[in-house]
Amino acid sequence: MRVVTFVRELQDLLGEERVLADPLRRHVYGKDGGIRRGDVAVVTLPATVGEVAEIVRIASRHAIPVVPRGAGTGLAGGAVPTSPSLVVSLTRLTEIEVDVESSTAWVGAGVLNLDLSKHTAAFGLHFAPDPSSQAACTIGGNVANNSGGPHCLAEGSTVNHVLAVELVTAAGEVLMLGADAPDPVGLDLRGIVVGSEGTLGIVTRVLVKLTPNPPAARTLLAAFDRVEDAAATVSGIIAEGIVPAALEMMDQPMTIAVERFVGAGFPTDAAAVLLAEVTGHPAAVAAEAELVRAVAESNHATRIRVAADQAERDLLWKGRKAAFGAVAQLAPDYYLHDTVVPRTKLVEVLAQVYDIADRYDLAIMNVFHAGDGNLHPLMAFDASQEGVLDRVHAAADEVARVCVAAGGSLSGEHGIGLEKRDLMPLVFSEADLDAQARLVEAFDPDRLFNPDKVLPTGSRCFDMGRPVPEGIWI
Amino acid sequence: MTSVKVALQRRLAAFLSDPIEGAPEGAVAVAPATLVAAAEVLKTASEHSLPVLVWGGGTHQGIGGRVDPAIVLSTARLDSIVDWQPEDMTVVAEAGVRIADLEERLAERGQTTVLPETPGDATVGGVIAAGISGFRRLRYGPTRDRMLEVDLITGDGRAIRGGGRVVKNVTGYDLPRLATGSFGSLGLIGRVCLKLWPLPEAQRTVTLAQPQSDYGYRPLAVIEERHQVRVYLAGTSAEIEARTAELGGSHEEGWWWPDPLEGLIGLSLRIAPRLLADILEQMPSSWSYQALPGVGEVRIGVRDFDPETMSALRRWAESRGGALVLTDAPASVYSTFDAWGAVPAGMELQRRVVARFDPDRIVNPGRLPGGL
Repeated sequence: MRVVTFVRELQDLLGEERVLADPLRRHVYGKDGGIRRGDVAVVTLPATVGEVAEIVRIASRHAIPVVPRGAGTGLAGGAVPTSPSLVVSLTRLTEIEVDVESSTAWVGAGVLNLDLSKHTAAFGLHFAPDPSSQAACTIGGNVANNSGGPHCLAEGSTVNHVLAVELVTAAGEVLMLGADAPDPVGLDLRGIVVGSEGTLGIVTRVLVKLTPNPPAARTLLAAFDRVEDAAATVSGIIAEGIVPAALEMMDQPMTIAVERFVGAGFPTDAAAVLLAEVTGHPAAVAAEAELVRAVAESNHATRIRVAADQAERDLLWKGRKAAFGAVAQLAPDYYLHDTVVPRTKLVEVLAQVYDIADRYDLAIMNVFHAGDGNLHPLMAFDASQEGVLDRVHAAADEVARVCVAAGGSLSGEHGIGLEKRDLMPLVFSEADLDAQARLVEAFDPDRLFNPDKVLPTGSRCFDMGRPVPEGIWI
Repeated sequence: MTSVKVALQRRLAAFLSDPIEGAPEGAVAVAPATLVAAAEVLKTASEHSLPVLVWGGGTHQGIGGRVDPAIVLSTARLDSIVDWQPEDMTVVAEAGVRIADLEERLAERGQTTVLPETPGDATVGGVIAAGISGFRRLRYGPTRDRMLEVDLITGDGRAIRGGGRVVKNVTGYDLPRLATGSFGSLGLIGRVCLKLWPLPEAQRTVTLAQPQSDYGYRPLAVIEERHQVRVYLAGTSAEIEARTAELGGSHEEGWWWPDPLEGLIGLSLRIAPRLLADILEQMPSSWSYQALPGVGEVRIGVRDFDPETMSALRRWAESRGGALVLTDAPASVYSTFDAWGAVPAGMELQRRVVARFDPDRIVNPGRLPGGL
């Protein structure tokens, strides 16, 4: 009965066509790009911030959890409801308003990442974070996960490019956090909302900083017989004092998969392939490209290919960004991991990753943002085989443990969601997790938004137990 | 000396420090040498609801509401560079490390934190707590983008850590960024891990007579002053030569950063970058300034207290989503000209957040806008 009233209230607000409660839709919206499925009560498709606020107030009255959702390309289960939930799909919030003079834009949460950069190209500007899913993922989703991408090496992740967010709070208020002026006064709540995976409120609009398109760029592909040589090249380039726009690496299994898929001429006999891009002033780019080449040669690169033109650049990048699509040819399912280690630990950790895959009898291939130590081991499998999912999860856990033991962290750009929530105690103490839980409580005391994500159950249990004053006044 | 002060000195005997130059007199001065000791101090203060003023180099104490502390907690003994990994380009430093010292050390391997260029005695913890950025923020972003990990001692004495010692990380809520510009409202920023950048092969300062609408593709920094503009270049020698030719003007090798502005009162005007040129034309002629095009920050030195003009400028900025903030002034000014101006949206939310870290509100109480 209660659900019926609830759905009717939503229909009164949005009309029947924007409230989806049929079994097919509830099934489709129950999953993201990862491998878990959740439980959807109803899906709403608001078109304005006012509607989002009203939806939140209705959900709050009925105590039904609210799960915000962008394009559902996430891999950590961040948009997968853990109990029958109201899904708020933000894909209809698609306005873009550019301020060319300040190089900023107000962007609806539902705008696709690549559409934003296409929209601003006429002004010679782009949005720097470029996740591999950029043709499909939304800016709202990028903000929720603090998404990265290859070009975050030099430009930083999404949080570096968000100046303000419009946030619908648990009370159904609309708050503007941040400003187009620098250093807004008061606590930087915008910074904590970015990367909060939809647990603090619903971001409906984002003020982003736009980055000038570089006047010149050069993309190089280097092949190596040993992974160690490719990694040494990465360290060598950074040690020379330049931070290239991107430094991406693929191991041999991944290169073979990609080459079969895009036919970009990637060397399939190499143990590792390094894709480096330098951008900037034309005079800088020539010199830096030479330097990258010299470092690669001194580290025994077997082949170095410099993209001759934009078409060849695009082809090389297509190969890199299509890596995950390429895997679909090999097996029906894949598990894409995301961990970070200090850059200097790449080779050592990678050897352990291969070893883990061997022990669990899983096909593993690696593509990673080598410049910032962000690993993406990818396990391809067929979920219809009995017991394979258990092996995949066990191997993924071990990979995470190995990375943390090497001084790394659980996620560099995909988020914690459900997938890594229970691994959080590997990196944080009880007191740390409790502090994070308290922070969430300040935003959302009843845990209306995306409950059960990021923090493991029981995080808010730590209590100092205030000691009895020792009577210094006596 | 009051009996309260004597009792407090006895209780905090293990951490007492010599008087701190420039700090409010009458408060008990402590300088804990470890984060555990700092936690002890804050626990004691919290138990008895005693206000604590955190003191680094004293450089940015002019920003924010005035604090009347019972305890001044100096970070002078929290002064170690704990871990520097040049290959990973990260450094872990305690709050009391002087930026000048840290930069000198990092320069040995050609690296920089990109923290303020003319820091004086400013400390790592102080600059982060005050959310102060260097001129190079035009190219590298503000100080919050340096922050990888933070160790906080909350107002009620809990030791907590957020972030991690890797350059890219989305594991858990971003406490390092929340701490940046928090002015102690979450507690003491005890230790941080910062992302480093390489120092370029070549450095040059180009001086121009007039502001321009375009300084070329992403210069390192640009500072517009009343009678000159300085453009800072970084990169390979070839790049710098090419850019100098494009810009014209005169040039010197190296980066020549201007000294902090002189004046009775320091102000920080923060506006959308597109508004900058207009407002600079209207700036009173007796005021000196350093304006950062592309950033929207104007550092202003005011010779005489001029509440009328200052208020008018504040109204102008606030009505356009900006702010005019006091950065330095004689104590009397703060009672007639608010340190911050209008309180930001979401003040209630800010209060709720702060209450989760400093429930008794003892660290720098009243320093943030809205008396928080």
